[in-house]
Amino acid sequence: MSAAAAAPHPDFEVVIGLEVHCQLRTRTKLFCEAAVSYGDAPNHHVTALCLALPGSLPVLNGHAVELAVRAALATHCTIHPRSVFARKNYFYPDLPKGYQISQYEEPLATGGWVEIEGADGAPKRVGLTRIHMEEDAGKSIHDGATTETHVDLNRAGVPLVEIVSEPDLRSPEQAGAYLRALRQILRYVDASDADMEKGQFRCDANVSLRPHGESRLGTRTELKNLNSFRFVEEAIRAEVARQAARIAQGEAIQQATLAYDAARGRIQVMRLKENADDYRYFPDPDLVPLVLKPERIEALRAALPELPEQRRARFEAELGLPPDAARQLTASRALADFSEQAARLHGAGRSVANWVLRDVLAALREVGIEIEASALTPAALAALVRLVDEGRVTAQSARALVPDLVRAGGDPEALVRERGLETVSDRGVLEGLVEQVLAAQPQAVESYARGDGKALNFLMGQIMKKTRGQADPAAVRALLVSKLEG
Amino acid sequence: MAGPLGSVVELGAALDAGETSALALLEAALARAAAVEPDLQALRGLRADAARAEAEAADARRAQGARRSALDGVPIVLKDNIAQRGEPTGCASRILEGYRSPFDATVVARLRDAGAVILGRANMDEFAMGSSCENSAYGPTRNPWDPERSPGGSSGGSAAAVAAGIVPAALGSDTGGSIRQPAAFTGLVGMKPTYGRVSRLGLVAFASSLDQIGPLTHTARDCAWVLDAISGHDPGDSTSLPEPPLLCAEALDGDVSGLVVGLPRETAGLEGADPRVLARVQAAVETLEGAGAKCVEVSLPHMRYGIAAYYLVATAEASSNLARFDGVRYGHRAQGAHSLTEMYERTRSEGFGAEVKRRILLGTYVLSAGYYDAYYRKAQKLRTLLRADFERAFEGCDVIATPTAPETAFPLGAKADPLAMYLSDVYTVSANLAGLPAVSLPCGFEDGLPVGLQLLGRPLEDATVLRVADAYQRLTDFHLARPPEPA
Repeated sequence: MSAAAAAPHPDFEVVIGLEVHCQLRTRTKLFCEAAVSYGDAPNHHVTALCLALPGSLPVLNGHAVELAVRAALATHCTIHPRSVFARKNYFYPDLPKGYQISQYEEPLATGGWVEIEGADGAPKRVGLTRIHMEEDAGKSIHDGATTETHVDLNRAGVPLVEIVSEPDLRSPEQAGAYLRALRQILRYVDASDADMEKGQFRCDANVSLRPHGESRLGTRTELKNLNSFRFVEEAIRAEVARQAARIAQGEAIQQATLAYDAARGRIQVMRLKENADDYRYFPDPDLVPLVLKPERIEALRAALPELPEQRRARFEAELGLPPDAARQLTASRALADFSEQAARLHGAGRSVANWVLRDVLAALREVGIEIEASALTPAALAALVRLVDEGRVTAQSARALVPDLVRAGGDPEALVRERGLETVSDRGVLEGLVEQVLAAQPQAVESYARGDGKALNFLMGQIMKKTRGQADPAAVRALLVSKLEG
Repeated sequence: MAGPLGSVVELGAALDAGETSALALLEAALARAAAVEPDLQALRGLRADAARAEAEAADARRAQGARRSALDGVPIVLKDNIAQRGEPTGCASRILEGYRSPFDATVVARLRDAGAVILGRANMDEFAMGSSCENSAYGPTRNPWDPERSPGGSSGGSAAAVAAGIVPAALGSDTGGSIRQPAAFTGLVGMKPTYGRVSRLGLVAFASSLDQIGPLTHTARDCAWVLDAISGHDPGDSTSLPEPPLLCAEALDGDVSGLVVGLPRETAGLEGADPRVLARVQAAVETLEGAGAKCVEVSLPHMRYGIAAYYLVATAEASSNLARFDGVRYGHRAQGAHSLTEMYERTRSEGFGAEVKRRILLGTYVLSAGYYDAYYRKAQKLRTLLRADFERAFEGCDVIATPTAPETAFPLGAKADPLAMYLSDVYTVSANLAGLPAVSLPCGFEDGLPVGLQLLGRPLEDATVLRVADAYQRLTDFHLARPPEPA
């Protein structure tokens, strides 16, 4: 559903701010050399620091810093030349040091924005309060059968950025649109794979209501751990309804931390504000302030790839695509790169774009993979389209090859030859076929003579059938007309 | 009874001359330990077999003319908060019972590279929190000069082991004076290097922004040898300075002519200062003047707030640094707890001693919402002011001289009031708060107990303070005095 289509709440303005935790695409953890992994045997990627052994010390991963800066630049944030890592102190078995290294008073970046489609269909800028770096905690696995809790520290210390939005979102749909746009940007700049299923892109939502026209913010609640786009929208919708119902009954909203029970579609209160933890933040004395020289920031800015918004505009202008088509082709950087490269190799961008939109995307869906995993190269697509252009294969035959090319790759020209799909345009062969068909279909010939145009299509169809679609349609048509009229 | 070992320089010379072997030195150290330890309680663990293998390897190197350094084959002990691979790292705490470190601290790796033979671990105040060595979960260490008295703390075991002649050198750690005050109480040289000079990787953190590892030895030259071996940049410690290893030993030329010694006018006014100690310090400065040094008065107006700031910063950091001792992954875990909270509470109640608990509570309070600005932030501001005080003072002098401690070694049990104990650090905490190099060295005796002179230098001028300390020792013989042999 488009954001513009959502009807506003009749009684209240809905105010939403999101906090996103996004895993940076590094090989190793934020403060030690343990590998970042997913799905491996528990506690196989841990160092002395991951285990918080006495005497272990953190050393900042420079690559994580570069990725975080890229994420911040891509969202138009101001990068601070000096930022400070702080300790967030709390006790939990999956937090080995008893504190999480994060950034607090002096974050990496502040004040950016992400563009989405607003309620009126016009572009809307969602403000970013800040982006800071922090380490992930481990995982607690509660064994319901034995009341035991198992701790897996493979994830402990994995680098994250926390991206905090301003309370600029006005509907669950806008929240979803913002998350999709943000995820797309983070993937574009290679800061993160942002795979939600792997927990690489997680969201907390702050939700409050206020009467239309009111400028002060209402009391907010925080929905924790919304781990899919669908749940985010569902949960916010449920929370808006819950708050509206309370207000309608004359009850006050209590500041609280909430969980969304997706199975039952219900909001659960985890903790009220008065029970909130005091995290006793203070600058981590084991680390020095992160100082980024302006030259380094500018070098990273210069190395940023084109962002989705810019690319969409350029595809519209350069390939002559309608906005929706440009949006589809720029959905991921890999798809945009593929399309652009194929278009350049072929020459006629619009035509190649149509092939991607119609046939490649369908084939990817059929095979169940993304373009990154496809064996089809841009050069192969360009070659295939060229074969069609040159009349050496029919569009119909070419289209049937796309799923195989996606699956297994290969040279389209060789494939066409191997499978005998070359267009039959040999005049002698075609003439023979035309004469056979005309002899076999006297009724159609008569109809044509009476001026029935459909008869020509019928006869064409008969010939295409005999050649299993490989006859050059233009040549067949010309031959038929000359025979019928001659 | 087995006699005491000599200084590092003496033992190194004897090894070089072939008059002794590393193995013979080690056996002498073990014999000395066997003789004095029952009364002294300086050591927490001896690794006799592993040390014998190291000594034999050192002898083999020397036999092949492949001596690694001047320390090759010299026995040494390490404070119980410095990680040695395969050995317990206990911090004299019940909470680390059963824990063995899977890695070497950087200083340990460097000592091994230098060929030093690691004899074992030294007792300490639990987690380095204390100034008397009485806060060890395994009982106090006694002062070799008077067994009824404290050897100081928290590196009291390291100090006592060297003073009693078990080993010629030990490593301690100094967060607020924990190397220098025990050195003063036992008649040794004890050095806290410039913050960042020596890697903290493998040092169990008490207060990360203040902690530094340093040597305890008989002489400034011994100290220089050990410090040169353990110092230098370590990429594994983000607070390590990007400086090469020190070459202090080369700087010990005995020359103090033209050197300007600053005497802070605030020294005498600090709480608990024994006039006899102040007089000894004055006399020491006069000795240096006699060798061509100049003496000037300097002012450190914020020094008097040092103790207050120190106990805010140190406890705040400690409350966070010690959160990892939770019974989940290693060390002590309370048995039979019915919930996570109960497991934490009982583990930490059983595992930590009273002083550690006091400081965790204090530090937790200091960092709490609503108090952070009043305490932690204000204490950090004081550090900035104190650093500025020192910068100004060092515009007019090269080193600053103060007593190391307000008094000589106090009797065990004399400082039952924690605040009275905290005031033992009144002269030493400033160097930690400002990150400066500071050394303590013996400058006389009162009632048969050593008095410590503290020399502070500009940041990175570790060699300067050792040069002055060495020059003073060329002019005096206090460092040659040894405690009476036990009866």
